[in-house]
Amino acid sequence: MAFKWQEALCTSKTGFFIMANQPLPLSQETLAQFNRSMSTEPGASGPPRRRLGSISTRRSSKDQSKDQPHHRPLFLRSMTLPSSESSFLSPTVSNSHISMGKRFSFAGWHQGGRVSFSGLYLQQPIQEVYVENTYRMGPEPGCRFNASRTQQILQATLDSYLEGVCYSPDSCSQLCQMLADLVLSKLKDVNPPRYKVVCQVVVGQSGKQGIRVSSRSLMNPNTDNYTSAVFHNHSLFAVALVHGLYFE
Amino acid sequence: MDDDQSAEELITESLEAVIGRNPYEQKRVNQWVSSVVEQCLGQLSKLSKPFKYIVTCIIMQKNGAGLQSASSCFWDNTTDGSCTVRWENKHLYCIVSVFGLAI
Repeated sequence: MAFKWQEALCTSKTGFFIMANQPLPLSQETLAQFNRSMSTEPGASGPPRRRLGSISTRRSSKDQSKDQPHHRPLFLRSMTLPSSESSFLSPTVSNSHISMGKRFSFAGWHQGGRVSFSGLYLQQPIQEVYVENTYRMGPEPGCRFNASRTQQILQATLDSYLEGVCYSPDSCSQLCQMLADLVLSKLKDVNPPRYKVVCQVVVGQSGKQGIRVSSRSLMNPNTDNYTSAVFHNHSLFAVALVHGLYFE
Repeated sequence: MDDDQSAEELITESLEAVIGRNPYEQKRVNQWVSSVVEQCLGQLSKLSKPFKYIVTCIIMQKNGAGLQSASSCFWDNTTDGSCTVRWENKHLYCIVSVFGLAI
């Protein structure tokens, strides 16, 4: 019975998630049987066992977002696998690192909850994150929002991505969002620490209409700044605005 | 959230007060944009909340041309937020975006 259930786990990916959300009532006898089988046959069911080990520590941000905010990943104490998506079918987990005998409990597949060996759920204490004082009153010298460098990055991005592009109502909405995300990702690399970035991109069809884009902000002029870039061709125009605000 | 609804109301009120039913005029649009943004910012700062604000205003003449606006932000999702209001009259479109970032 234990082997059949094991095979079912390994063969269906989606089945795992359904199982992970439902508590599995297993008798002690079944668990003992499984543990015996794991300890006595290390080589026979190697690949399925590997996948089982990977499954237990896999955590995707998608699943976590659906559940309560305070949950902790369930880790096998004997394993230290990185919780990345590739770990699901990771061939790098060796059998020697998996000791599923004593500390492993199948009933603990439920995300965010520690369970006892009998299958009952234990209340997980919510651990608050305490952040220590940094005693810093402002950004470090040399670590401010660099408006000129940001403007160069903005202009270069707009020029490279919009050169020769024609305005189309269907594709330009996605293009606009894509540009905003792209600019943000480029700025994240050069962003000094403790700075929040707000990036807005406006793309419009180049007709004979008048348009005005303006922005004003309530911020600290010593630490915060903004920059903008404009691109124009025969078919469309684009305006990119970036504000960098220091987070105290 | 109450804050978002009151921000939307603030913006709509200031747009209707400044622009109202006026047609698009090249000479006045500069002043309109400044007034709208200043009014919004003034009303938001009167709320006396520990936020830094960014207000953006786009006014475009109705001519059959298309317009897209997108924003992307690197901030703390739990404390920061934004509000965008699309407003129009017979002669022009207006998009006002307000970003509020906690200190």
